[in-house]
Amino acid sequence: MTNVSRDPIRVTRRFEAAAERVFDAWLDPEIAGRFLFTTPTGQMVRIDIDPRPGGAFCFVDRRDGQDIGHVGEYIEIDRPRRLVFTFSVPAFSHEVSRVTIVIVPQGAGCELTLTSENVPPEWAERTQEGWNTILEGLATVLAVES
Amino acid sequence: MITPLYLDHTLTALADPTRRAILHRLAGGEARVTELARPFSMSLNAVSKHIRVLERADLVRRRRAGREHFLSINARPLDEAAAWMETQRALWASRLAALDAILRADDRSAGAAKNKQSIGP
Repeated sequence: MTNVSRDPIRVTRRFEAAAERVFDAWLDPEIAGRFLFTTPTGQMVRIDIDPRPGGAFCFVDRRDGQDIGHVGEYIEIDRPRRLVFTFSVPAFSHEVSRVTIVIVPQGAGCELTLTSENVPPEWAERTQEGWNTILEGLATVLAVES
Repeated sequence: MITPLYLDHTLTALADPTRRAILHRLAGGEARVTELARPFSMSLNAVSKHIRVLERADLVRRRRAGREHFLSINARPLDEAAAWMETQRALWASRLAALDAILRADDRSAGAAKNKQSIGP
């Protein structure tokens, strides 16, 4: 049985670059287009970023002639500490995730922690029933099963 | 990144404490609907609705023996949900690695430009 973390999807990485540079990379179309939502075989054909709370973004990656849009909305923009946005790929799923990026300066560099939580439409109004609860249930069931 | 649509069903099914309790019980072995309903302070009808949500997600399967309905757990969607989450985690990790590489490359070219400048007249 697969081992599942009880947390939302969480990734941490240390950067030698300063917090401001790492933060700005997410909202700068030139840099963001090189690391966000790109695929090795795809070609980024369009990037729209409206960097304000409530502003939208759209990254279009062309894969095998098909244009795949990655869309979302910025919820919080607190440079250089915190960036929160929703994210979905309508071509693949109705599912919407909420991505939270927290950047903590460390010496000349910084440490970035990214969490991704799912916000399926059914739960949009039930934020208290978060991903944690879901995973708690999942982990419990898996623990019993194994 | 292909997000499976059935995942919506799996995660919705797991979002409710009663349904998680039902899965918990079934993890211990097959059970009749009436047996499943007993610990809950709700009608058989309400419990049946929860069971249908679990069946839609293929987390619960039904076997009929005469007039009796036996329910059992199917763990496969759980494994698939776990695998999907691991894929998501790996995707974000690779995006952060790519960002790190870009910033380092920028630093190197900025450093090279600076050196070149200082060598010049």
